[in-house]
Amino acid sequence: MSAVQARRVAAENLIVVPYRRVSVAALATNTLLILLGCFFLLPMLWMVFASVDSNPDWAIKLPTLTLANFADVLSRADALTSFRSSLILAGTTTVLTTVLALLAAYPLSRMHIPFKRSFMLAILFASGLPVSMLIIPVYQMYVSFGWLDSLYATALFLSASSLPFAIWLMKNFIDAVPVELEQAAAIDGASTFRILRELVLPLTVPGIAVTGIYTFINAWGAFIIPFVLTYSPDNQPGPVEIYNFMGSHGLFKFGDLAVFSLLFSLPVIVLYLFMSRYFSGAFNFGGAVK
Amino acid sequence: MLSEVRFEGVHKIFGTETAVEDLNLTVNAGEFLVLVGPSGCGKTTTLRMLAGLERPSYGRILIGDRLVNNVSPRFRDVAMVFQSYALYPHMNVYDNLAFGMRARGAAGGLIAQQVKETAAVLGLGHLMKRRPSELSGGQRQRVALGRALIRQPQVFLMDEPLSNLDAGLRVQMRAELSRLHERFRVTTLYVTHDQVEAMTMGDRIAVMNSGRLQQVDAPETLYDNPANTFVAGFIGSPRMNFVPGRLTTAQGATAVEFLGVKAPLSSRAKLTADAAEGEVMVGLRPEDLMWRRAAAPESTLTISAEVDVVEPMGHEAYVTAVCAGETVTSRFPPRSGVRTRERIELALNPARLHLFDAHSGTTILQRPAAGGAELPRSVGEARIDEPAEGRSERHRQPQSRGMQSRTEEIS
Repeated sequence: MSAVQARRVAAENLIVVPYRRVSVAALATNTLLILLGCFFLLPMLWMVFASVDSNPDWAIKLPTLTLANFADVLSRADALTSFRSSLILAGTTTVLTTVLALLAAYPLSRMHIPFKRSFMLAILFASGLPVSMLIIPVYQMYVSFGWLDSLYATALFLSASSLPFAIWLMKNFIDAVPVELEQAAAIDGASTFRILRELVLPLTVPGIAVTGIYTFINAWGAFIIPFVLTYSPDNQPGPVEIYNFMGSHGLFKFGDLAVFSLLFSLPVIVLYLFMSRYFSGAFNFGGAVK
Repeated sequence: MLSEVRFEGVHKIFGTETAVEDLNLTVNAGEFLVLVGPSGCGKTTTLRMLAGLERPSYGRILIGDRLVNNVSPRFRDVAMVFQSYALYPHMNVYDNLAFGMRARGAAGGLIAQQVKETAAVLGLGHLMKRRPSELSGGQRQRVALGRALIRQPQVFLMDEPLSNLDAGLRVQMRAELSRLHERFRVTTLYVTHDQVEAMTMGDRIAVMNSGRLQQVDAPETLYDNPANTFVAGFIGSPRMNFVPGRLTTAQGATAVEFLGVKAPLSSRAKLTADAAEGEVMVGLRPEDLMWRRAAAPESTLTISAEVDVVEPMGHEAYVTAVCAGETVTSRFPPRSGVRTRERIELALNPARLHLFDAHSGTTILQRPAAGGAELPRSVGEARIDEPAEGRSERHRQPQSRGMQSRTEEIS
């Protein structure tokens, strides 16, 4: 063994050593977390296995491979309509919520407003209210307005219920943009509109993205609100449709259910992966101040 | 292009806190005025009021002849360098520099040319494509400066622009800022808490404390004739020594007693109308309190003291000594060999005394402007200054008279 090789081996050993020292606490924590992770993975495992199984039931078992379930679901008109409904519902909610949250969060972050703290706490409280508590009066309201069974009107209520949290989220992102940047731009001669367009907007893109994606995921999976406020088959979004798979068709079609669930969760998984990029700090304000 | 800036009776009150109180200050056209004071003294608030980021509670702020109290920052035609630099993090150096000109709707060709020129002045030419996060502290500082320079504003505002730099770079940028001001001569208001920056860069220095302006003067005047104990203590390092004393008048001659000695006041040094016999505060600069063995002949007073601490600085040493129960600091030549607990003799030139009212802290001694200032300040300077000074004295009058007038001042 040459001297260079010897040194390299020694260096590698040096690097490896710290990883060998695993404490009991770390071992216990990781084991527990892995177990918990498995509990959450099992239903998904069932979903994946059952979707390609020719004879699925409620048990997790190795599938007899087939694509018949996919063909079956994709040929069903109501399955495709529910995708369209979900898209309209979640899309409208996301756009509305994000725009309104941005407009609300900017002054809350930057301006001196009387009772701002109380207002923010009220918003925080509102974001914790369970929607099911409100659904009966809201239903009454929708009946009297004649808004029942409209996806856009339903999106309005979904937006209202997701707005408090979105405002908090957005405010924290705007808080992180140093106010001195805006002051510098104002002294540089920029108008308020230019400051918002060229400074605040680009610097809050991560906040807008995270708020948008978060709202979309929530609206995409919303069940109780569309379940109560829509009734015609054409306006049933995915989660309600899944419920119909189980109930009104009498017999459980496990294969179709699994395929539909799988297809329906795909956008959420993709968006989560996308969002994690922003959360991991891919964007920061390095060099802006100090 | 050159505009003066005036604060007239400006107050700034935050809730119950008065940040700035009755500020009357004029920054002359083309002047580099340094606003200095401890943190929380209202200097940054003053600057922000001039920038338009704060609105004065009372009073008037004028740029040139224009009242700007209600003018928003974008229409004030001032440029500001922030302590934090406040560079736009998502733009590269070029766009950071160009932002202000674009906001003012300048033509593309002109922008490109100006950016190029400014970058050349500041040595940023090779960094144009970089973002602020890819720059070093000094480079960021230069971009922040460039963003102000490129605008050719009526007034430059600088809020502790060097405080985030390391010591070496700070000295370098200090010189660079002075050079830039020599070149462009834009009216500048520079805020700092660092007295070295104030002394080296300012045409004049304005000292603030607890929201009130204490004194505005040229650096040397401020140093030689501080208006009160605050200014006297704030400017100068090590700090001026303050010891209690008594003012006495006997047979028409005024004298001051302190540290067990009695110093007659020069007939040329005038006491102010407020001066009264009795308790006073005597101020002694460490460099005026010399080691007897190294002292100039003008230092006629001798004080006996016991050494407490010796701090060698290399080119000199600070010796803290106890004398008549008072602790005083004096500047010694290097390698003097004095040790702790050793008894030493300190020499003092009575013409370099500062006298302050014991209660209000205001100066009660108006020293002749030229006479006092021309005397050698420290051991090291004395050797260099004396021949040149002696020559100039000889030109004006016979040497004997020159010496005489000096001794007059001393005794």
